[in-house]
Amino acid sequence: MSAVIQTTKLSKVYESAWGGQDVHALKELDLTVLPGEIFAYLGPNGSGKTTTIKMLLGLIFPSSGEIEILGSKDISSSKVKRNIGYLPEGAYYPDFLRGEEILRYYGKLYGLRGADLERRIDQVIETVGMTHARSRLLRGYSKGMRQRIGLAQALISDPQILILDEPTTGLDPIARKEIRDILAHLRDNGKTLLISSHELLEVELISNRVGILYQGVLQAFGDMDSLLTNRDISINVSNPPAAALAILEEKGIRKEDEAGGSAKLRVPEGMSVYDALELCKSQSIQLVSVAPRRETLEELFVRTVGAAEAKEKVAQ
Amino acid sequence: MNALTDFFRGPWTIAVYTWREGMRKKTLVGFLILSLLVIFGSSFLAAFLDPSMVGDVESDMNLKLIKDICVTAIALFGVLITIFTSASVVPNEVENRVIYTVLSKPVRRFQYLLGKFIGVQLIVLINLALMTGLFFIALLVRQSVMPTLLLWSAMLTYFEFLIVSAFTFAVSCTASSSILPTIGGLFIYLTGNLTEYLKDVNVRAGQTDQWLDWLIGKTASFLAAVLPNLQNFSLKTQILNGQPNDPPTDVLIPNLICYGLLYGLSGFLLSYWLFRRKEM
Repeated sequence: MSAVIQTTKLSKVYESAWGGQDVHALKELDLTVLPGEIFAYLGPNGSGKTTTIKMLLGLIFPSSGEIEILGSKDISSSKVKRNIGYLPEGAYYPDFLRGEEILRYYGKLYGLRGADLERRIDQVIETVGMTHARSRLLRGYSKGMRQRIGLAQALISDPQILILDEPTTGLDPIARKEIRDILAHLRDNGKTLLISSHELLEVELISNRVGILYQGVLQAFGDMDSLLTNRDISINVSNPPAAALAILEEKGIRKEDEAGGSAKLRVPEGMSVYDALELCKSQSIQLVSVAPRRETLEELFVRTVGAAEAKEKVAQ
Repeated sequence: MNALTDFFRGPWTIAVYTWREGMRKKTLVGFLILSLLVIFGSSFLAAFLDPSMVGDVESDMNLKLIKDICVTAIALFGVLITIFTSASVVPNEVENRVIYTVLSKPVRRFQYLLGKFIGVQLIVLINLALMTGLFFIALLVRQSVMPTLLLWSAMLTYFEFLIVSAFTFAVSCTASSSILPTIGGLFIYLTGNLTEYLKDVNVRAGQTDQWLDWLIGKTASFLAAVLPNLQNFSLKTQILNGQPNDPPTDVLIPNLICYGLLYGLSGFLLSYWLFRRKEM
C-alpha cells in the first residue's frame, strides 16, 4: 500500500540568534501515513508534533530531509494542497461572519464557485451536524460549534487527507464524543486522518496506528495492536483486608485501584489466572469479576516517554 | 485568460474578507468617526473662533480656516488609518492562526500577500472617499462651486497613502505584532515629509570641512534620494488659497501617479521578498 504522507530523514533546526544554542525540533523523522487510516501523532509538549505538521503544510521549511504527499515532492503545488484539509489548534474565526460565510470564504480559496460551492457547504455542514446553526453569527457559537465549523472548513474541498491538531481539546465530553464519531465516519468513508492530540483516551478509540515523538525523535511507531503488547488479567474484589492485600503483593499481585470498598488487582505477566484466584481464595477475599486487560495508549505513552527520558538522562 | 482569472480569484477573495474585517476594527471606525466629526464640525469651530462672522457674508479667513482644518484632518486621520491597517493585517492573522488555515489551502504566499494588500487599499480608499465626500459636500454648500480641486487632491493623497501603506506592510511582514510596523509606518510618513529638509541638511553640511558634518550630509543626501518625497503629493496650499474648481498647478499629475505606483510596487515586492520564506 503506497503511503499518503511519507517523510524521509526529516529534520528541523531552529537556529538561535545572538549566539544561543540551536534547537533541534525534529531529528531525521521517517514517518509513513497510509491511506484510509487514522494516524495518531502523539508526544509531550515541545516534542515536535506541530513542527512536523507545519512542515507538511509548507508553513515552515525543513532543514533537511524530504516530504512526499500523495506521491508528490512538490508539497506546495495546488494539486497537493487541494487534497489536504487542516484544522489548527485553537484557530480563530471572525465573529462577524456566519458559519456558512466562513465556509464560503475557505471554499473560494480552494477554487470552488457557484452551485458546486453551495452544494459542498450543504454537505459539510450536514457532516459536522451544524445545519441548525449555519446562518448564525459565530459570536453565538459555543466552543464545540466553533470546532465543528473548523472541521467543516478543513473538509470543504473534500480532501483525501485531514490534518487535525488537537481537534477535541477543551471540549466537553459530549462534544468530544460527537467530534470523535465524525472523525471515525470520515475514516470509514476513505479519508486519511493525521491527528495530533494529548487526549489519549479519545485517539485510542479511533486510531489505527500511532507514532510517539519525544524530543524530535520517533520513539514508537506502528499498529495500535502491535504496540499495545502488555496484556494482563485484572480481578475485581470486594472489601479486601489490608493484610491479605499485603500477602498478595508479595506474590506479585498488585492493587491497581481502590474505591467504594472494592479494589482492582492486576495479575502479573507469567502468573496463571487460576493461581491468582486460588491465592485470593486462600486469603478469603470476595471475588466480583475477572477480566482480561490490555495496556492502554496512555500507559504505552507514559512507558515510551519515560523510557526515552531515562535513556536521555543516562546519555547525559 | 482563465489562468489569470484563477490566479486573481484567491487574492480577491482574501481582499474582500480583509476589507470586511478591517471595516469592523474599532480603532479604524474610531478614527473615521473622529475625522468626520472634525470635518463636519469645522464650520461651527470657525464660527466659534470668530463669532462676529456668523450670519455675515463668509470671509476668506473663515473659509480658509475650515479648509485648513479639513485638509489636515483628512491627511492626519487618513494616514493613521493607513498605517494602523497596513501594520496589523498580517501580524494579526499570524497571531490568531488564521494564516495557517489560509496558507494550507491552494493559495501561494504571493497571492495571500496580494489579497491582503488589496484589502488594505480598499479600506484606505473607502475611508478616504468618505472623508473627502463630506468635505466636498461642505465646500459645495458653502461656495456653490464644484470643488474639483479637492478631488485631485484626494487622488494624490491616496497615492501618498499607497507609498506609506506599502512600506508599512513590508515591515509588518517581518514582525510578529503590529507595534513595530506602526512605528515604521510613522517613520516613513514623517521622513517622507522631511525630504526637502534632508536636502537642505546636505547643502549646509557641505559648507564645513568637519568629517562629522560630511557624514551627516551624506546620510541626509542618501535618505533624501531613497525615501519618497511625500510633500510632492500635497495640494494643500492651492486648496487654501485658490479657487475650488481650479485645475491643479505646479504638479505633474501623471508623473506623481507613476511615482506613487512605483514606490507602492517596490514596497509590495519588498513585502513578498521578506515574506516568501518566513516561518509561521
